[in-house]
Amino acid sequence: MHIPDGFLSGRIWLSLDALSSVTVLYAARRLRVQASGHTVPLMGVLSAFVFAAQLLNFPVLGGTSGHLVGSALLAVLLGPLAAFLTMVTVLIAQALFLQDGGLAALGANIFNIAAVPVLSGYGIFRLAGGTQSHGRRLAIASFLSGWVSIELCALCCALELSLSGAIPLRVGLPAMTGYHAILGVAEGILTSSVLVFLSHTRPDLIRRGAGSRLPVADWVAVVALVAVPCAILVLAGSSNLPDPLQRLLASADPVYGRQGESEPFLSPLRYREFLRALTLIAGAIGSAYFLGRLMRGKRSKL
Amino acid sequence: MRHNFIDRYANLDSPLHVLEARTKILGYLSLIAALLLMPGRNDVVLLVYAFVAAILVGASQVPLGYIAGRSLVILPFVLLAGIAAPWTNSFDGARFMALATRSFLSVTILLLMTSTTPFPELLRGLQKLGCPRILILNLGFLYRYLFVLTEEVLRMRQARDCRRAGRAPPRVELKLLGSMLGSLVLRSFERAERMYQAMLSRGYAGEFPVLAPRRFTWRDLTFLAGIALLIVSSFRYAGR
Repeated sequence: MHIPDGFLSGRIWLSLDALSSVTVLYAARRLRVQASGHTVPLMGVLSAFVFAAQLLNFPVLGGTSGHLVGSALLAVLLGPLAAFLTMVTVLIAQALFLQDGGLAALGANIFNIAAVPVLSGYGIFRLAGGTQSHGRRLAIASFLSGWVSIELCALCCALELSLSGAIPLRVGLPAMTGYHAILGVAEGILTSSVLVFLSHTRPDLIRRGAGSRLPVADWVAVVALVAVPCAILVLAGSSNLPDPLQRLLASADPVYGRQGESEPFLSPLRYREFLRALTLIAGAIGSAYFLGRLMRGKRSKL
Repeated sequence: MRHNFIDRYANLDSPLHVLEARTKILGYLSLIAALLLMPGRNDVVLLVYAFVAAILVGASQVPLGYIAGRSLVILPFVLLAGIAAPWTNSFDGARFMALATRSFLSVTILLLMTSTTPFPELLRGLQKLGCPRILILNLGFLYRYLFVLTEEVLRMRQARDCRRAGRAPPRVELKLLGSMLGSLVLRSFERAERMYQAMLSRGYAGEFPVLAPRRFTWRDLTFLAGIALLIVSSFRYAGR
């Protein structure tokens, strides 16, 4: 789930933006060393593929719909570094063209949807022994990596939202992880059926991606850039904000501090006042729009 | 089929379209950051930002219905926050409204940025601002291959629908979707490799050429100065 702008507090999105830009720069630099001429078109076409696959929705429970995320699939096909950068490309394109996820929240979305699921998907696929085997073992390994990656993604998202004070953990955690547990099944089945299909037709693709080992430097980077922030997020989010931390947050974030002194919203007495203000605001914004229209020049026919 | 659905209104000719890509990226990004980092919930400042956004939308020639329709993508989150509101310690309607307003305004500004800049120019701007080359390359390929892939998907779907009647049970349906996706990967990968070779042999060196790129002129300077003035004065006002 892509987080839009406005739902994360400044502390969270600024620090995650910084973290993600370091991760992206690191991955880009490492990939320049490791990439072969084959990698560039494969990354390009897979990013277009994931972008297109995310446009195709399938119905889930109760009128909502979900789509393939594809982080685990990319991790298996490309290896973790290239898969991470491919996912980042997709996320930038989605933020720019579909407004899926905000610009300031891009760092958070990169962490949730690219860094964490790609690495967890890759790790679980290797742990479950998907690289050496065919058939059932491969199917199970890829199903697991798809499911777990989605679930971790939802977990990080819920933790960030609750730490920002937008959606409390009591509601956000069950809603996000429960919903994504269902989505994860679809993701797992799709991941495994695509990979089983590819293992019949082009087994070299799977072996080249997930079969490649991570050098030691990358392991260190993974721990520093993904695992440690993840642990911090879980510890800070799940501790249910005991008093000292809460006081610290209240002093750091002005929105937190002023919570107590707000007047009741929409009490009957304030209703007329509220309506009048609303009309005024709508009028002001409408006239601003028409003011802007005066400046826009002649519209060319296309 | 329509081939320009991602930057459909990017080739109009308005005061915002003639700005250089870097100007727009920096200007809008700082506008969004300022909007989100504004201390407290200062309703007057939010109103001023809404006012500015409305002027920009009006000046951009992009149809109002398009902007309004596309900015609805934030609705699921607003709904979730609204549903969750009674569980918070103190339900605070004003705070919720401020959150929704901020979110809505940032989406509008983001929409303005992408719908007034053609994609190749946006990429050039990002590259000049120091985005890693591999990301730029990849974004360019995404843009290039997306149309190829979409056509492939439409062809495959037509072929599937021609060969069957009705729907299969969900399990079979998912499996079918999986193998369709798999063969989509294969087909498009093979095609992409051929295209890449063809591009290389025609002198592609990692950059999609832009016809007559925009220059940084006095207009850009005015735009950036206006935005800087707005941000500084709003922060001074909010900080009081």
